[in-house]
Amino acid sequence: MTTLASAPQETVSVAGPVATPRRRRGRRAGKVTAAGPLTYVLLGLTALVSVFPLYWTAVAASKTNAELAGTPPPFLPDADLFTNIGRAMEEAPIGLAIVNSVVVSSCITVGTVLCSTLAGFAFAKLRFRGNGALLALVVGTMMVPTQLAIIPLFILIAELQWVDHLQAVVLPTLVSAFGVFFMRQFLSQALPDELLEAARVDGASTLRTFWSVVVPVARPAMAVLAMLTFLTAWNDFFWPIIALTTDNPTVQVALAGLGGGYVPDTAVIMAGTLIGTLPVLVVFVVLGKQIVGGIMQGAVKG
Amino acid sequence: MATVTFDSATRMYPKADRPAVDNLDLEIGDGEFLVLVGPSGCGKSTSLRMLAGLEEIDAGSIRIGDRDVSDAPPKDRDIAMVFQNYALYPHMTVEQNMGFALKIAGVAKDEIGRRVAEAAKILDLEDYLLRRPKALSGGQRQRVAMGRAIVRNPQVFLMDEPLSNLDAKLRVQTRTQIAALQRRLAVTTVYVTHDQVEAMTMGDRVAVLRDGVLQQCDTPGALYERPANTFVAGFIGSPAMNVVTGPAVDGGVRLAGAVLPVPREKLARAAAGTGRVTVGFRPESLETAPPGEGVPVVVNVVEQLGSDAFLYATLGADDDGDVLHTADVVVRTEPRTAAAVGETVHLRVREDCLHVFDPVTQLRVD
Repeated sequence: MTTLASAPQETVSVAGPVATPRRRRGRRAGKVTAAGPLTYVLLGLTALVSVFPLYWTAVAASKTNAELAGTPPPFLPDADLFTNIGRAMEEAPIGLAIVNSVVVSSCITVGTVLCSTLAGFAFAKLRFRGNGALLALVVGTMMVPTQLAIIPLFILIAELQWVDHLQAVVLPTLVSAFGVFFMRQFLSQALPDELLEAARVDGASTLRTFWSVVVPVARPAMAVLAMLTFLTAWNDFFWPIIALTTDNPTVQVALAGLGGGYVPDTAVIMAGTLIGTLPVLVVFVVLGKQIVGGIMQGAVKG
Repeated sequence: MATVTFDSATRMYPKADRPAVDNLDLEIGDGEFLVLVGPSGCGKSTSLRMLAGLEEIDAGSIRIGDRDVSDAPPKDRDIAMVFQNYALYPHMTVEQNMGFALKIAGVAKDEIGRRVAEAAKILDLEDYLLRRPKALSGGQRQRVAMGRAIVRNPQVFLMDEPLSNLDAKLRVQTRTQIAALQRRLAVTTVYVTHDQVEAMTMGDRVAVLRDGVLQQCDTPGALYERPANTFVAGFIGSPAMNVVTGPAVDGGVRLAGAVLPVPREKLARAAAGTGRVTVGFRPESLETAPPGEGVPVVVNVVEQLGSDAFLYATLGADDDGDVLHTADVVVRTEPRTAAAVGETVHLRVREDCLHVFDPVTQLRVD
C-alpha cells in the first residue's frame, strides 16, 4: 500500500515516501511510552484527590455554618458565597492582608531568586579560594531550625522598631541556603564552561556574562525557585504572626483571626481561605509555562 | 593581522606532576595557518587556550604582534575563538550570536548589522539569521560559530577542533571551506586537531605535540618526508609508518633473518653504542621482492579498499633469537595482486624511502 501510493508521488514531493515509514516507526517505538487507559484513570484519580480540598473549600465557603454541620456534609456549592466573603472581609482586613502578602511574597521571591542565582553561579562556575568551604557553610545553615533564631531575630527587629512593619518579614528571608544550593546544582550541570569562555572571549565582563548568558540559561530553574519561594512566603505563618499584628497582617495572619468566637465559623474561615488562595493560583498559572524550558537544547552539542 | 609568538610558554596545572605545556617555542607568521596536532592530552588545546587567555601562563610569554599578551584578559587580545562544541548562546538568534561581541564592544547598530550580514553571506547563513541554535543542523551551527569569529575581524583566529562534531562527509567538505576562507581573509590562524589528515590538508605548517612538548613544526610535506623522531614518524601518515628495531650488521639492519640495507654512514651513527638501529618505512614505500631477497613477513589480514590493498603482516622473530619481538608491518600493494592471508611475502624498501632513527634517543639520523 505504502509503496504503491508513494511511487507516483516521488517526483512531486520527497516528503511523501519518507514520511510514511517514519510515522510507522514512531508508532512502534512509541508503544513503550504511550499512555494506556490505566494511566489516564490513575492520573485522573490523582488529580481529583488533589483538587477536592480546594473544591470543598469553595463549597464550604458558600454555605452557612449550620448547613456545614449537617450529616452528610454538603457536596454542592450554594448561593451564600459572596455573603460569606463579605463577612470575612468585615471580620479581618483581608484586602489589606492580600496586598501585604503580595508585597511581602514578591519582595522575598525577587530577592531570593536574584541572590540565589548570583551566589549559585559563583559557587558553580567561578574559581575562588574557599569555594568548597563556603558552600558547605551555606548548606550547613539549612540544618539550623528556624525556631532557634526567632527570639534573637525578634529582639533585633524590635530594636530596629520594625515590629508590625512589612520589612520585618521580608528582610530575614531575602536569600535562602536552599535557593543557593539549588541554583548551584542546576548551573553546574546546565551551563557549559565553554559558553562562559565564549562570552569572555567576546569581551563580556563577569556581570555582563551573568545577565546575558547565565540568566537566560538559568531561567527554568529560576522559575521553579520563584514558585517554591513565593508559595513558602505566602504560606509562612510562624514568623509573620510574631513580627506583625492583626492591624497590618499577611493573609495567613489575617486568616488566623477569622471566624473566632464561641463556635468557629467554618464558612467564614473557608471564604477567607478561598480568596487568600486565589493569588497563589495565579502565580502557578503564570510561572508554570516558564518551567517547561528546553531552552538549552542545541547550545552545545555533546 | 599579526604574528603570534610562544616564547618558552609553560602551563603547569595545580597538583599535576608535569607541565601540560612545557617550554613551548613557536613562531607563527602573519596570515599563516598553523595546525597544532597530537594525541589527546598532548597539550594542544591548552596551548590554544593559553593564547586565548583562558589559561594562565606559568612561565615564559606569548606575544601577538609586538605586544606581550601573557597577562592580558581575552577581550584585550584581539582574538576570536571557535569552540569544539560551538558554544553558541542558546537563547540568542544566529544574528544576535554573531553580533554579541560587537554589541559589547559598543559598535553602532547598523555597523553590526552590516558586518553580520557580510559574514552571513560568506558562510551562506543568510536564511537562518533569525533562528535559534537549536533549530540549526550541526553544520549550520559550526558555520555560525565561524561567523561569530569572522564578524569581529580579529588579528588571530583560534579554532579548537571545530570539525570534530560533524559527520565524516561534512567534515571533509567543511575542511576545505575553512582552509579556503582562511586564505581569503588572510587572518593568522591557530587550529587544533587530533586528526592528522586535517592537519596535513589544512595547515601551512603543522606543529606536532606530545606530552606538552613540541616535537616538530614544519610544512606537511616536510613532516611526512623527514619526521624528526619516531613519534612524528608514527603519528603523521595513514596508515602509520612502520618502525622496527633490529641489530646492526654489515650493510644494514637484520630483520627476520634478512638484511635490510641501510646507508653505511647513517648505520654507523645510529648503531653507535647499542649496536642496534631503528628504521622506519611507510606502507607505500614497500615493494615485494622475489623470494630470497628482502625481508619475509607473514600476512594476517588483507584490507581491500578498491584503489589500494593494505596487508597487515607480522615480521617474524629472528632465527637466532637476536631480534626480540615480532613486529606488525603494514604494506600497501596493488589490489589485484594482493597476497592471500597466511602467505609469506618478501619486502624491500624503495630507494631513499628508509628513515633511520637512533634507538635510544628516537631522533632521526641523517
